[in-house]
Amino acid sequence: MSDAMSRPGTLVGQRVLRVNDGKLLTGAGTFVDDLHLPGTLHAVVLRSPIAHGRLVAFDAAEALTMPGVVDVLAPEEARDATRPLRCVWLMPGQGQVDYPVVPRVVRHVGQALGVLLATSVAAAEDGAERVRMEFEELPCVVDVEAALGDAAPQLDPGCPGNVAVDLPRGDPPDAVEAAIARADHVVAMRFAIQRLAGSPLEARGVVASWSPATGELTMWSSTQVPHHARDHLAGALGLALDRVRVVAPDVGGGFGPKDHLYADEVLVCLAAMRARVPVKWIEDRREAFTATVHGREQIHEARLAFDDDGRFVALHSDVLADLGAHPSNVGAGPAFVATGMLEGPYRFDSSGGRVRGVLTNKTPAGAYRGFGMQQAAWVRERLVDEAARTLGADPAELRRRNMIRADELPYTTHTHQNYDSGDYAAALERATELVGEGLPAAPDDGRRRGVGLCSYVEFTGLGPSAVQEIVGFALGGYETAVVRVEPDGRATVLTGVSPHGQGLETSLAQLAADALGLPITDVRVVHGDTATAPYSAAGTIASRSMTVGGGAVVRAAGRLRVKILDLAGHLLEAAPGDLEIIQGVVQVRGSPTAAVPLRTVAEKAWLAWGLPPGMAPGLEEKDLHDPQDISYSYATHAAAVAVDLATGRIEIERYVVVHDCGVIVNPMIVDGQTHGGVAQGIGNALLETLVYDDVGQPRIATFHDYVLPGTGEVPDMVVEHTQTPSPFIPGGMKGMGEGGTIAPAAAIGNALANAVPEIAHLVTETPMTPARVWGWLDAAGVATDW
Amino acid sequence: MTGPQTRVVRFAVNGRPVQVTTEVRTLVSDLLRHDLELTGTHVGCEHGACGACTVLVDGAPMRSCLMLAPQVDGRDVRTVEGLAVGGDLDALQEAFRSEHGLQCGFCTPGILMTLTGEREAGRTVEDALAALPGHLCRCTGYVNVRAAVRRAWSQLEGS
Ligand code: FES
Ligand code: FES
Repeated sequence: MSDAMSRPGTLVGQRVLRVNDGKLLTGAGTFVDDLHLPGTLHAVVLRSPIAHGRLVAFDAAEALTMPGVVDVLAPEEARDATRPLRCVWLMPGQGQVDYPVVPRVVRHVGQALGVLLATSVAAAEDGAERVRMEFEELPCVVDVEAALGDAAPQLDPGCPGNVAVDLPRGDPPDAVEAAIARADHVVAMRFAIQRLAGSPLEARGVVASWSPATGELTMWSSTQVPHHARDHLAGALGLALDRVRVVAPDVGGGFGPKDHLYADEVLVCLAAMRARVPVKWIEDRREAFTATVHGREQIHEARLAFDDDGRFVALHSDVLADLGAHPSNVGAGPAFVATGMLEGPYRFDSSGGRVRGVLTNKTPAGAYRGFGMQQAAWVRERLVDEAARTLGADPAELRRRNMIRADELPYTTHTHQNYDSGDYAAALERATELVGEGLPAAPDDGRRRGVGLCSYVEFTGLGPSAVQEIVGFALGGYETAVVRVEPDGRATVLTGVSPHGQGLETSLAQLAADALGLPITDVRVVHGDTATAPYSAAGTIASRSMTVGGGAVVRAAGRLRVKILDLAGHLLEAAPGDLEIIQGVVQVRGSPTAAVPLRTVAEKAWLAWGLPPGMAPGLEEKDLHDPQDISYSYATHAAAVAVDLATGRIEIERYVVVHDCGVIVNPMIVDGQTHGGVAQGIGNALLETLVYDDVGQPRIATFHDYVLPGTGEVPDMVVEHTQTPSPFIPGGMKGMGEGGTIAPAAAIGNALANAVPEIAHLVTETPMTPARVWGWLDAAGVATDW
Repeated sequence: MTGPQTRVVRFAVNGRPVQVTTEVRTLVSDLLRHDLELTGTHVGCEHGACGACTVLVDGAPMRSCLMLAPQVDGRDVRTVEGLAVGGDLDALQEAFRSEHGLQCGFCTPGILMTLTGEREAGRTVEDALAALPGHLCRCTGYVNVRAAVRRAWSQLEGS
């Protein structure tokens, strides 16, 4: 470590410790609820207690008499003062393209209707209990298949039959059907993926402050996307963009749900504008379960067709995505990606799908780590294992036989993914090897044991803006970096991406430090404030910060290095090509006596005295990086499990990840992201699920009934990497933040089916809780007594 | 209508005596965070499930979101702000940094306080690892949290 710190130019690839850990370890971080602005009022968001109905009466008179209660923003007032929030990812023909900040007809429990302000949180909560709301209840629908039925209540006039989106994907349906008909075998299965809550440990929250004197609104927000939030906030409130500032302070995790502006956040800002004092709203955990977007829920009717010799012929999935009450900012995006990435690392003669995004009376579904790719992997990899079972083939061998070879890359899939580079089979090979190694001889404890694989390709680095335009995702796909050597010789990196645990404060600094010949301690990354950070349309989502944002840093810092060497060459009367920068000193290569400190170069540049003819003052470069194309990371995960036939409990005995995300800037951070992703994937596989009753009331309200993985559920794991540089990204990185989350369900499900082949045909649903697995064991007659 | 009942609560925070007049229903987590502005103690659930709010009360790890202000009257409370004496990270904090045992850092103060309680009570590394299920971390997958525990305890044993 100290080694890495002292050798400039070699930081990329080093396990550099994180530069911002000190404050987080000492309790000195500043999360949004840590802000204490003088005179702050506390908000409670008034929410719908029912799943579907029209608000017919609202009365806050009694609440306003309660001690400490200052103001109530009523639904009508809020509706008059706001414009609808736009859906950001619009599919062709999407029937609903925006949603009101406050609806006339509520469509899910927890939908925001107004705000109450008081001098303390407790007083606000007391006051909120006295607000009277009356509803004319309407019939509701909570099940996605029921929502398609003739008898289902219709939720939106633009979405007849509750279908908001209906899209074909990949090859024309006739072509896929013809290919399936030609094949020797077809495995057809119905897969159901549950509804999840991304659950960053810090829930959402905002502090809003309005300055009547300047007409400026500032919102501190626990967000992944400060600029995106600013744009939508200004739009919703009818303010000019230059009057709205959004600051993401320290943010306690995101994982997707914090990727956009929420209606309740608009309401809190509106209340602050009216109150003319700062207003704080911190989302309660119970509230988060209905107020923050959910993830995942999809049903896939899927088919894999293959020949006697094991060659894959065709793949198809008909997807029902439960969008919840209205299309979220990303709407049917996860189902679009699920079908887009369904083919994974394999060749098919034909492939395609259908995406239907369906409205129900549940919280809207949005982004969650793994965004469609988790569902794609679960569906495809389970089908592959069942195909192997049909043929009596080894699952690894069947995968290998159908995998796109390294020499076939670049390769275009049937859904137009241009896979770039890598060696998919090498990852499979290595993972298969590693999962067997070190596995202790199975004790004779009556449990069944099995091993499962999941291979996938991962879409990362969203994305060239041109691709975003083609798919209707209204976010520019570029990132901007400004790299500056300050007059004191230290460097500042301004970035538009917005880290919230990923360690970009360190890894982006590594990129700049290498280019500038500085130690990591001399580089500071500044982010998260729309008043200072360069514009970023998309922010930190979609495994893109290191690729798109990092690529911008590489290019800006590279250009700055050229300017530094030019100026230093001028000062030293040496050819710039003969110079190097070591530890903040520019010197003639091999002749350290002919040297000038970077600080001196910077002083000259910023004074603009004695510059060579034509050189602009200052040492600052800006780069706007719109990537040439998508980067595709890939991996194979392998799980070894033990299954208790008496209880249905699955224990993970060994977990292996062999991953390729291109050039690794900081292996410590990459491994940490992988561990965290796998842990979330294990929650997806074994534990987590959001349940509603038939009148749309959530059955889940706390972390006691929404079971997240704890240390006991997540084993130590083997993580290995290969590094195939991205051909498109300056620096060669590919994205990896989501990777770990994609595969665990499929690897564990395949291991379960391998351990207990009697239930293989039933292993189609997650989470694979003991109760569900026991049901499968019982149905197959293999459950044993205690 | 009478306002909420208030009470004067006197206790020690990180060795410093404090006296606060507060509503009796105030949670200790809110008392620390908002009355005393010791915002290092975090609140992830406010219902006793996540452990983020853990502080030491008379040396024992407690969930401050499940305690009311009067319950700490006359007691000794320690928070994450009290760990780095003189500004230097202590051995446990150093271990978390060295092993990348934190990402967003939201869960970290609570975990550090539980582990500090374990260390000061002379517990073994196995005991310390067995105390971790009381904490939720959404970022690290616990792998490096456990590595940090092992590092911290091996240094303790080595010293
Ligand atoms: S905040 Fe106290 S246990 Fe979660
Ligand atoms: S580091 Fe983010 S919750 Fe633990």
